[in-house]
Amino acid sequence: MLVLSRRVGESIVIGDNVTVTVLEIRGDVVRVGVDAPREVKVHRQELLAELADTNRAAASPSPESVAESIAGLSRIVPERPESGRPTRRTDDPEQPRES
Amino acid sequence: MSDLGTATVEQTQRSGDTPVLEMVQPMAGFPEVRRYLLERLDESGVICDLRAVDNPDLRFVVAPPQVFFDDYAPEVDDAVADALGATSAEDLFVLVVLTLGATLHDATANLMAPVLVNHRTHRAAQVLLDRSDWPLRAPIAPAGRSGRVATPVG
Repeated sequence: MLVLSRRVGESIVIGDNVTVTVLEIRGDVVRVGVDAPREVKVHRQELLAELADTNRAAASPSPESVAESIAGLSRIVPERPESGRPTRRTDDPEQPRES
Repeated sequence: MSDLGTATVEQTQRSGDTPVLEMVQPMAGFPEVRRYLLERLDESGVICDLRAVDNPDLRFVVAPPQVFFDDYAPEVDDAVADALGATSAEDLFVLVVLTLGATLHDATANLMAPVLVNHRTHRAAQVLLDRSDWPLRAPIAPAGRSGRVATPVG
């Protein structure tokens, strides 16, 4: 692992177009700004790990669970679902992402 | 515009074959699994199965979220829509991954990371909405109708 020391306001550049800037240090919390192309996903690591855990818990349920859930659903869903179309959001490219 | 979510699952399956979805963003924790079959599990077409093409033992149970959460309206970055090859919102439909338990009352839906599907291109992505306050594990029994966490975190 590459280890670097940075002061507030200083940045590191990853690849050609990802810049990570230390914005503020308060106690044991460091605020970091990430400036990256929109196709580069930026996530908090612990949230990705939590999602992976949730997916693993959801993966390959027992046939009994599936059968029970389908039976339960047929009781609570008397009608067909309504619309739930996703809306699109355009990020402001000038706004650095922080985490 | 009723019946949208189910109608688009039907659209995806109109060819008669079971569609193969290509994950442009794979399921977190399963980065190597890119292709899934989308199959219906019940006659009403509410619950579907995402089964890994190359590993039939791996499956996820998914459903259109509006069955359980009528106020669920995830926002999608343009970058995700582009990755899915979507030219308009009409191309996309939403599925949520269910974590099943012994009964339906133990089941939860992952509203923070829905699976988006382009019914035209059959590209799909699990999208982590980490700036939203939708929960990872929202109960789907009727008592848990609203998926919102009361207080946003962060």
